[in-house]
Amino acid sequence: MSQILQRHVPPLRHPRPSCSIVPPFLLARIATLEDPRFERAAHAAQRSLTDVAHDHLDHGRKENTLPHRSLLPDEPRVRGQISRSIYDAQGAEALPGILVLTEGEPGTDDASISEAYDGLGSTFALFWEVFARDSIDDRSAPLDATVHYGNHYDNAFWDGTRMVFGDGDGEIFDGFTRSLSVIGHELAHGVTEYTAGLLYRGQSGALNEHISDVFGALVEQYARGQNAAEASWLVGEGIFTEQVEGNALRSLKAPGTAYDDDVLGKDPQPDHLISYIETLDDNGGVHLNSGIPNRAFWSVADTLGGCAWERAGQIWYDTLSGDALTPRSDFAEFAAATTKAAQERFGSGSLEHGAVRSGWSLVGITTAG
Amino acid sequence: MWRSGGLLGRRVEWDVVVDDQPDADQWHLLINELPWGDCSATNTTPDGYTYGIRCEPHEVLIPEHQLTGRWRELVDRVRDTSERPSTAEQPSTAEQPQGTTTDDQDG
Repeated sequence: MSQILQRHVPPLRHPRPSCSIVPPFLLARIATLEDPRFERAAHAAQRSLTDVAHDHLDHGRKENTLPHRSLLPDEPRVRGQISRSIYDAQGAEALPGILVLTEGEPGTDDASISEAYDGLGSTFALFWEVFARDSIDDRSAPLDATVHYGNHYDNAFWDGTRMVFGDGDGEIFDGFTRSLSVIGHELAHGVTEYTAGLLYRGQSGALNEHISDVFGALVEQYARGQNAAEASWLVGEGIFTEQVEGNALRSLKAPGTAYDDDVLGKDPQPDHLISYIETLDDNGGVHLNSGIPNRAFWSVADTLGGCAWERAGQIWYDTLSGDALTPRSDFAEFAAATTKAAQERFGSGSLEHGAVRSGWSLVGITTAG
Repeated sequence: MWRSGGLLGRRVEWDVVVDDQPDADQWHLLINELPWGDCSATNTTPDGYTYGIRCEPHEVLIPEHQLTGRWRELVDRVRDTSERPSTAEQPSTAEQPQGTTTDDQDG
């Protein structure tokens, strides 16, 4: 008997009508079929209902606009049940591609498929086991990834509903699915969409990137059982080819040192607010200025010691999932929110509270309180 | 043409001198047919690429997922014709349209 997942969607502040060919009530009926003969149909209907919910996400152009009512019947659901689906785009750019692996099926010889599947699992494990978050929406959303996207496509991204991985160009990038921190980074964009909804430009965009780097790094550390001192604090280690003079995409511990290569150039990330980069590129430098809060987070984790997900990560998760942030939050507001979160969880004047204030001070952001 | 964003957020640039191309007429036809005024949207796909294309007097920014039809044709032409793209040494700096950042220096 198949396990039927139940998904609800969080409340919406500005309801919008959903639009799909098959009406949601019919999808809901199909989604709860328990006859094993209709397992794929039920799974597809569940995904369609999630896609309808996702259509309401304005992808950061406005505030988060998820529908306010559940699209599935109100039946008891089991939390913490992962459901992964991996698709193969086979070198084309059409999404989602062909379904090649679903939850519980035996592995494949295709490294990209296996790595994506395992990486989704590791990401789910961090959020569920440490933060009690049931998938990216805290409602058991299926985790989908497409691999082998495009022809020598040199990127990986979150398209609003799934992770998409190219194979790399073979000159600079070679295997995005190899990096747990990259997989965690991409899925964390989904978590941010469902929580703070930080707009992907300027300082809020840099914070969006920062959160993905933090939780991407934590996924890797948690899977490896590494404490803050043992961890590399690198994002994207192992995805460069051997020709590249560099360790990783970014370093949270030392922004600006991840690579220095004759083709790539030097890692341009700043590590202090005084070096904030004003640019029109990259949506206002969201991948660049994320270095500033990244170093602050590393500092908190380093000061506190032990496993970074337990205290520093918890404070950041409390901040992300709490009420203090808005889609337009800037560095100062975010710093204040983390400081308040530390106070609330660990007490005013606690070691943790002090570590957060020091971390922000290190990068040039003073927080009150 | 340039591309920014992506996982690294790095800017790379391609250059083509259209009038030096053997099929310059085809290039000009394509360039003149493109709806230059109809684009320019901020890319909201996390880690997605954004392409910028400048051909005086035109300039446009296009998120990668909107590169379809003739725009895709132009981008593919530029990439096929140009030599290996060069990495910009520094991110392109410009005044932001609204105040953003360093009001918060030192809190």
